[in-house]
Amino acid sequence: MSLPSVTATLLQSGGALPEWTALAPTLALALTALALLLVDSISPETKNNALLAGTTAVGSFVSLAFSGWYLAAGTGQSGTGGEIVLYGEALVVDGMYLFFSAIFASVAAMVAIASYDYLAGKEYQGEFYALTMLAATGMTLMASANSLASAFVALELASLPSYALVAFLKKNKGSVEAGLKYFLIGALSSAIFVFGISLVYAVTGSLLFSDVAEALGETELVGVAGVGVLMIAGGFAFKTASVPFHFWAPEAYEGAPAPISGFLSSASKAAGFAVAFRVFVEAFSLSAIPEGINWVILFQILAVVTMTLGNFAAATQDTVKRMLAYSSIGQAGYVLIGLAALAGGASSQNGDVMGAAMAHLFVYGFMNTGAFLFIALTEHWGIGRTFEDFNGLASKAPMACAAMALFMFSLAGLPVGGGFFSKYFLFANAVFAGFWWLAALGAINSALSLFYYSRVVKAMWIEDATSEFEIRSKPVGLYAGIMIAAVGTFLLLPAFGPIIETAQTAASALFGA
Amino acid sequence: MAAFDYAPVIVLLPFLSFLVAIGTAIFARGKNVLPKGGALPGIVAMAGALLLSIWMFVTVEAQGAYDQTLYTWASGPGEGTFTLTFGVLVDQLSAMMLVIVTLVSLLVHVFSLGYMNDEDETGLPRYYAGLGLFSASMLGFVVADNLLMAFMFFELVGLCSWLLIGFWFREPGPPSAAKKAFLVTRFGDYFFLIGVVAVFATFGTSQFSPIGGMEAFPVLAEEALTGSAEGINTFGFDAATWFNIVGLLVLGGVVGKSAQFPLHTWLPDAMEGPTPVSALIHAATMVAAGVFLVARMYGFYALIPTTLAIIAFIGGFTALFAATMGVVKREIKQVLAYSTISQYGYMMLALGGGGYVAATFHLMTHAFFKALLFLGAGSVIIAMHHNENMWDMGGLKERMPVTYYTFLSGSLALAGIFPFAGFWSKDEVLYETLVHGLGGSPLLLAAYAMGLLAVFFTGFYTFRMVLLTFHGEPRSETARNPHGVRWNVKGPLVVLGVLAATAGFANLVPVEKLTGANVDFLHDWLYHGPETLNGEHYSTLLHDVAGYTAADFSVLISAAVSLGMALAGVGLAWMLYNDPSPEEHTAKLGAVKDLWYHNYYQDEFQVWLAETGGLGIARGSDKFDQGVVDGVVNGVSSVSLFSGSRVKRVQTGVVSNYAALLTLGVVVLMVALGLYGGWFL
Amino acid sequence: MVPAQWYLLLAAAVFCIGVFGVLTRSNALMFLMSVELMLNAANINFVAFSLQWGNVTGQTFGLFTMAIAAAEVAIGIGIILVLYRNFRDTDVTSATTMRW
Repeated sequence: MSLPSVTATLLQSGGALPEWTALAPTLALALTALALLLVDSISPETKNNALLAGTTAVGSFVSLAFSGWYLAAGTGQSGTGGEIVLYGEALVVDGMYLFFSAIFASVAAMVAIASYDYLAGKEYQGEFYALTMLAATGMTLMASANSLASAFVALELASLPSYALVAFLKKNKGSVEAGLKYFLIGALSSAIFVFGISLVYAVTGSLLFSDVAEALGETELVGVAGVGVLMIAGGFAFKTASVPFHFWAPEAYEGAPAPISGFLSSASKAAGFAVAFRVFVEAFSLSAIPEGINWVILFQILAVVTMTLGNFAAATQDTVKRMLAYSSIGQAGYVLIGLAALAGGASSQNGDVMGAAMAHLFVYGFMNTGAFLFIALTEHWGIGRTFEDFNGLASKAPMACAAMALFMFSLAGLPVGGGFFSKYFLFANAVFAGFWWLAALGAINSALSLFYYSRVVKAMWIEDATSEFEIRSKPVGLYAGIMIAAVGTFLLLPAFGPIIETAQTAASALFGA
Repeated sequence: MAAFDYAPVIVLLPFLSFLVAIGTAIFARGKNVLPKGGALPGIVAMAGALLLSIWMFVTVEAQGAYDQTLYTWASGPGEGTFTLTFGVLVDQLSAMMLVIVTLVSLLVHVFSLGYMNDEDETGLPRYYAGLGLFSASMLGFVVADNLLMAFMFFELVGLCSWLLIGFWFREPGPPSAAKKAFLVTRFGDYFFLIGVVAVFATFGTSQFSPIGGMEAFPVLAEEALTGSAEGINTFGFDAATWFNIVGLLVLGGVVGKSAQFPLHTWLPDAMEGPTPVSALIHAATMVAAGVFLVARMYGFYALIPTTLAIIAFIGGFTALFAATMGVVKREIKQVLAYSTISQYGYMMLALGGGGYVAATFHLMTHAFFKALLFLGAGSVIIAMHHNENMWDMGGLKERMPVTYYTFLSGSLALAGIFPFAGFWSKDEVLYETLVHGLGGSPLLLAAYAMGLLAVFFTGFYTFRMVLLTFHGEPRSETARNPHGVRWNVKGPLVVLGVLAATAGFANLVPVEKLTGANVDFLHDWLYHGPETLNGEHYSTLLHDVAGYTAADFSVLISAAVSLGMALAGVGLAWMLYNDPSPEEHTAKLGAVKDLWYHNYYQDEFQVWLAETGGLGIARGSDKFDQGVVDGVVNGVSSVSLFSGSRVKRVQTGVVSNYAALLTLGVVVLMVALGLYGGWFL
Repeated sequence: MVPAQWYLLLAAAVFCIGVFGVLTRSNALMFLMSVELMLNAANINFVAFSLQWGNVTGQTFGLFTMAIAAAEVAIGIGIILVLYRNFRDTDVTSATTMRW
């Protein structure tokens, strides 16, 4: 007997473990957050960065290990009895939850390791890590939400710590301004989101996805339901930084501490997509929803506008961090194809497209976090923010610059990292699903993105240094974080097969239910 | 099959010597680390390869052929995909070729001791590294069991020729000759490359013979023409037409590498390289590769008579065309260069004329006598302090007897005089072409006529060269007191001299016809290959598919005619040049001499072609690229950047504006979707 | 019983007032209050339709909303405090160091 089948008998479906243990990836993060809060309340002034960062990283790795184990063992997947529904159907554990939890945990681990150096000597470190873990907990809950109520609570659990984290550098004007903008737009968006939920509740009388889908099929209040669906989509658009809810993103990513920028633009964005995928496939299922509420068109508009605006704005930036912020908006546009290239009826293509989008988010978690951690490294060294400031950096820090070049090319979709396959599968599946024009627009935007991504590489590797760099040290934590991201990005090129299979199986299960 | 497990070692041994030499060249520059500048590792490696090759030869005789896939470097999943492999095919043909290549290469290595080491050349590790890689590439090409692998090694051979021809890169001539050789053969190889792709696209495999689960493309082609093929994509053409196209594409590479008209121009220039390299290029490696390729996939060519006729015609024409140019050259190596082109023309003529065995036979004998002639010329050049002009020589007969007698043996073979090797093989080439021509292919008769005429010229220029070089009175101071040569020059000459005299006995077809004794050994050898790769199979294909029939014609008459032509040429040369102080009789040819001396102005013509046609097209493309393509690209990029700089102005920095735009966005979407979905009705 | 559509209209009106406040007020605290108004518009819907559908899901969710709104305000006030420390103002339009 192979290992997974042995462990499968130990798991929840076999009755050996209580059902709530299926949430172990979330619980591990939550417990880590509580432990950090405990440390923080016992000695609020502690600057024992190694302990705090170590605890966070270990907690993240434990969560990642649970996700991996459950994915391999088949918890909540069709092989072992299908999804596990918990707490009055408020939460659900299935392949998609585990897949996204793995993304959040990996990103959180990298961020924690990199923050070890980034936060050195700063105050309130305990809070920083605790908030990070709380946000990660919220994200995993977003991926497992099975009712609009839990979706909302989880979304706020992910958002509220994020606001504080963005504004973490209290004496830095940029950080505070970023936090303010993020918070205000977030508050506005969540108000819109809640109002949307209230309208859907008004029409359907329930918040559970399955009940909502059933009731929507029979409703006559198409207009009210439609406005509700649109507003709920707005809430997710805020989380995923999609147009027109993206306005916070450039500033928040630019002003926030760089590890947090990476965390938000990778994990938080993925969380937004996780909950959006589940809500729109299960609650607003295309097979049940009235014809008047055509959210596929909505996402097609959002995808096109988002990828175009993100890439065009990124192309003309002067600072690298802000370029990455805009490019992250553009990447959200690509992932939106996962919702935009869906077709009514039980088409097997739907699962493939959405799975490809999930796989892209997985790869993106590594390459984008890595890119922001590189920015964190330059901030740590006190190097300027513009492209010119990076000139000739490769001669001083070749390893880090090689990793950054890998991230950039992989983000652009060149076959040096997993980004090549994930983008290729995403576009190819869009074409198979009949949405060749979405794929074509995506490809054009990718071509444009190569321009600004390669600007960074050109500055680092080709240009001569305009000023002397004072590189005092090679911070271990930041380097470790960057290298984990680089190795992950690179290995996902040969190892993309299992990722896309897992993602597409998980997504297909969503459609099959 | 223990012996065959060592087949890859034959390729790896010279490669190892290459690595050793190149390692020394890189890491121990200027230090004399390797004995003899890298020659010894090369000699040891080639000797080992030769022994292994002989072992292979014996084993093939005893156990039959061997075909094994060694490494699959790309394979697609499921049906309709390609599997790309490296494999070793040791059959009768490649076993014979292995022995020839390793033997000639070994002798060239030994000879290089005299030509390079004793002359105190610099950069010897680089030289021997080149020789090693050259031999390894050629050996890899010989044992390749599929067309793609063959193509790869074919290209490596081309690369090595570039490296070696340009060995003296500090002088002006060699680098330019190297570039020319590389570019001209590359030009042919483009067609070959397209041909490889076409073979894959058509048959889905490029194996020469069926192995494991993979089919062989010649077999598939045969099935297609006899009407039982499946899964062959001929791109809308009639199968025979399409196979002709594919065959001609591959032939492009052959014409380039084997220096056939019109891509022969690189070869005379390649004489700029060191003479042992010339010997290697001409006898056993580069030039032989083209002809060998046709022989290797003869099961495919035997199906397409049109291409065969073209091959024969190119061959016959090249044989004559090059021979005429050889008549008027002043430099000994130039004469030999044109004789090489001409002799490979004979091989092509034989292949096109249905004489698979004849072509292989001539390939073998030519390898020996042409290597001999080049090494002999090298010996003369050493003696003459690197003066190659024959008009400065003369009278070397007494001063260097070993060189003279071996060179004479090679010359008699080249001229095709009984009973030297060249006589037997050339005679068989002409005879095969003649009988198939008489059997109903008149085009072959024209090719035969050109080949026959070329025999006369061959006899003439060969003995003009011999007489000018070795006979008469010395015409310069160096010729009176030539530089001596040592054993390392004489040894290879003697070995090859004996072979040039005797190699012909491998296939005494006329003798067999006369006496009935079973002495056509090579014929028997090649007729007992693997099922789809032997001469008998090919002759069946030629007869059944290509429609070649052999007329009944006496081999003796044919042999007598060609021998007569050769003797006439030799006799004329003897009359004109056997004189203590010969005159430039070729001057009497007047305008014809100029035409021949300037190689029919082929170089000038091709340069003109390149300059008018090529440059015109290049200028046009450049205009298109600069104007239209770059214009569009630049336009797109500046429009993108401009619109980007406008788009980003939306991000005003004022959070209230963001809230307003956000709300506006939601309202717009609501109105749009509402109108679309009829929410407000 | 009051017909359901009146509740919807009331909620929509309150929501729009909130939006109006968000768009016109530049004081951060007023911005926050306007958002609260929008949240409460949702609460009106929840409570009203809880009665309409005869289940307590809506009312429960209303409590959730209030709790989360409180948490949001807690974070918001903190951010506004540091905003004041850095920019000497609670005007949301004053923080414009980053744009384009």
